[in-house]
Amino acid sequence: MGKGFYRKLAWANVRRSREVYLPYLLAAAIIGGVYFLVVGMAFADKLSGIPGGDNARMLFAMGTTVFTIFAFCFLFSINRFLVKRRKREFGLYGVLGLSKGHVARILLWENAMVLLGGLALGILFALVLGKLLFLLLLKLMRALPSLEFSPSPVAYVAITGLFGAVYLATSAYNLAQVHLSNPIQLLQSERRGERDSRFLLPKALLGALLLGAAYYFAWTIQNTGLAMGVFFLLVLMVIFATYLLFNAGSIAILRLLRANKGFYYKPTHFVTISGMFHRMRQNASSLATICILSTMLTVTLTGTLSLYLGQEETLGPLYPYDVRYYIIQGEEPNPDITPAAIDAFLAQEAQKQGLLMTGEADSRLVFTERTQDEGYGQPIEGFEVVYADSDWQPLPHSVYLDGNLYFDLAGDGEACLAFVEEIPALMSAAFQVPAEDYGQVRDIFTARQDGYGLYGGLLFLGAFFSILFLAVAVLMLYFKQITEGYEDKDRFAILQKVGMEQRQVKKTINAQVLWVFFLPLLMTILHMVFASKILTRMLGAFQMNNWGLVLACAAGITGGFALLYLLAYKLTARVYYRLVRWGVGK
Amino acid sequence: MELLKIQNVKKVYTTKLGFNQCVALKNVSFSVSEGEFVAIMGASGSGKTTLLNIIASLDKPTSGQVLLAGTPFSSIRDRDLSKFRRDNLGFVFQEFNLLDTFSLKDNILLPLVLSQTPVKEMEARLEPVASMLGIRHLLSKFPYEVSGGEKQRAAVARAVITEPRLLLADEPTGALDSKSSVELLENFSRLNREAGRTILMVTHSAMAASYAGRVLFIKDGDIFAQLYRGEEDNRGFFDRIVGNLSVLEDGGSSNG
Repeated sequence: MGKGFYRKLAWANVRRSREVYLPYLLAAAIIGGVYFLVVGMAFADKLSGIPGGDNARMLFAMGTTVFTIFAFCFLFSINRFLVKRRKREFGLYGVLGLSKGHVARILLWENAMVLLGGLALGILFALVLGKLLFLLLLKLMRALPSLEFSPSPVAYVAITGLFGAVYLATSAYNLAQVHLSNPIQLLQSERRGERDSRFLLPKALLGALLLGAAYYFAWTIQNTGLAMGVFFLLVLMVIFATYLLFNAGSIAILRLLRANKGFYYKPTHFVTISGMFHRMRQNASSLATICILSTMLTVTLTGTLSLYLGQEETLGPLYPYDVRYYIIQGEEPNPDITPAAIDAFLAQEAQKQGLLMTGEADSRLVFTERTQDEGYGQPIEGFEVVYADSDWQPLPHSVYLDGNLYFDLAGDGEACLAFVEEIPALMSAAFQVPAEDYGQVRDIFTARQDGYGLYGGLLFLGAFFSILFLAVAVLMLYFKQITEGYEDKDRFAILQKVGMEQRQVKKTINAQVLWVFFLPLLMTILHMVFASKILTRMLGAFQMNNWGLVLACAAGITGGFALLYLLAYKLTARVYYRLVRWGVGK
Repeated sequence: MELLKIQNVKKVYTTKLGFNQCVALKNVSFSVSEGEFVAIMGASGSGKTTLLNIIASLDKPTSGQVLLAGTPFSSIRDRDLSKFRRDNLGFVFQEFNLLDTFSLKDNILLPLVLSQTPVKEMEARLEPVASMLGIRHLLSKFPYEVSGGEKQRAAVARAVITEPRLLLADEPTGALDSKSSVELLENFSRLNREAGRTILMVTHSAMAASYAGRVLFIKDGDIFAQLYRGEEDNRGFFDRIVGNLSVLEDGGSSNG
């Protein structure tokens, strides 16, 4: 056979089935592009320069590992799905006289073309959108948008490695598919009957039981540590239960409906129920996967968004005042450095920066955690003394020793941050004291900046994961529509020939399509309601205990996701209706 | 009594822009009496499928009209056509057209379900039809679990269970082996003789046509000739049909 024969044949195949390959290519490009960006940001030197940047980088570095696994699995399973659909075609090649080796070579070429295309397009996406997304990340981190995104070379290596690994794995799988079968089997593979799996009812019950238990624990666990400990287990339970319910539960319910003859033998029920049988047998697993992906997406985004939005709330209890300035006077206080002097000096310095130090004497509190019995001396003159334990409750007999100066700063946030950072140096210069003794500043501005770095980075990473999940979910939805479109085409024609009105056919078919479409979404929403509770418990580790906020975020995210899902459905449904065309003709 | 009447039916297909016209049927007229078994023969492209689609009310003639029991198709509103088809016509197709999602039983019951027949009556009607066609033991199977001949017998059961006035068959033996074909055609004869069903069958097989009582030959959109069986047996009728077919072929080549 001529030079480039296989390549040409493969290229013709790719072009001919572009309505399958194009979305695959796009999904590969999106997955690749997002992966490239995550790695690029994890290794971006420039991020370490900015406040909170190290937090973000660390997150991206951790995200990289998880991302690699997800990206690999997704690309692999998309390929598996496509190859399964093409078994008939392989069989036909065999009948036409191409040996398995020839078919294998065609497949290798096709695979290489699509993955190379995805790789190139993905890097292109990432480079074009990278700058924009990087600015967005900096904005979320409240850092100055003065930095340019230039992806680290590591990103190129990583994405090439990922696609290379995917190429090897998918090729091995595809070749195994071709080699393990003979042409006749392959030709018949699409026509194989559908049998219900065994142990339908026990499976359905197990699914319901697992889901109920997972929901119960998610709803009732009060303890943060316990919530963290069992969360992963609950996730596994929910995933397993979702698959069981979609696969066995749906069929079991349909069987019950079918057993009721009075109900089943009504025109719309008859066609809808039998159609749903077919659809659920064909699609249960992919619907469950769509549901799981959607839930992962909404949980990730809800968690990260709640943290980001709830940051002030978590900072509040930790910082009753903006700044805590800790003065170590020791047992022999320096009489010159009185609180009044420090106060006046800092207020003056603040004013120079255009900041207002607020909180008069009554709010400048001095706390001590040590009691009189421990034998410490007198409080420094001018400080108000409050005897307190760690919960800010005054203790009887507690006595001042070292001082904490508490005050609020009003003014531009960045100027405040800069001022606070300067305090040790200023003090050291003004009072000739060692900076380390007068350098203990704990302030909300630094914490806020660190928080934005951490939570902004988390949110960003969450959004990246969501893009990944969304791309795969939409792709699955699309493939489902195509597969069903081809099959339903014949079914509609037959129903109309047998005497069902076109209007009625459309109605029952629409009902089925909508059921199949809405099931994962409904299940996702249900999962989310229960997840919001345990999510709040887990966020307790970050001092975030506001279930209302988490619920609001969950509602917002789920609502937004539902809209996107609807949009994806609208787009993919067009392909479906174009395939079906409702006609009677062949 | 005259059941079906085709009057001067003409069908012209026009391409989208109207440049090319293709005349599928020129001017076809014939009628079918109640209780008749008529076969329509012709080569592919002769217009026989177009004719059947028009009789099935799936397609509309460019001019001329079709009457079933005196009712012109053109007088039936579009949205009533499905019901009309369901009540009056039964279909058997070359490629069976059974739904994979239904068991054979449900496939056969489909038209009855669509016309909202009570469950008891459906089951009562199913019994004799399934017995006559010899598929009683297969009712719970799915189409992909049975042979082609069995599928086609289920399709016939589906077509006759509504007791239609006219049974239309489009190349019913086209996808069957010769043994299954003979079985199916014998079923048709029995339905015709014993149950009094009126059957109109389109075919290009002389063997299939030899089971009919009358054969119409169609060529280039026209009725070319027709043969009556009379008292002849299948064998003799078959010979005459084959003879006529060769005339049809010769005519074709001399006409150019």
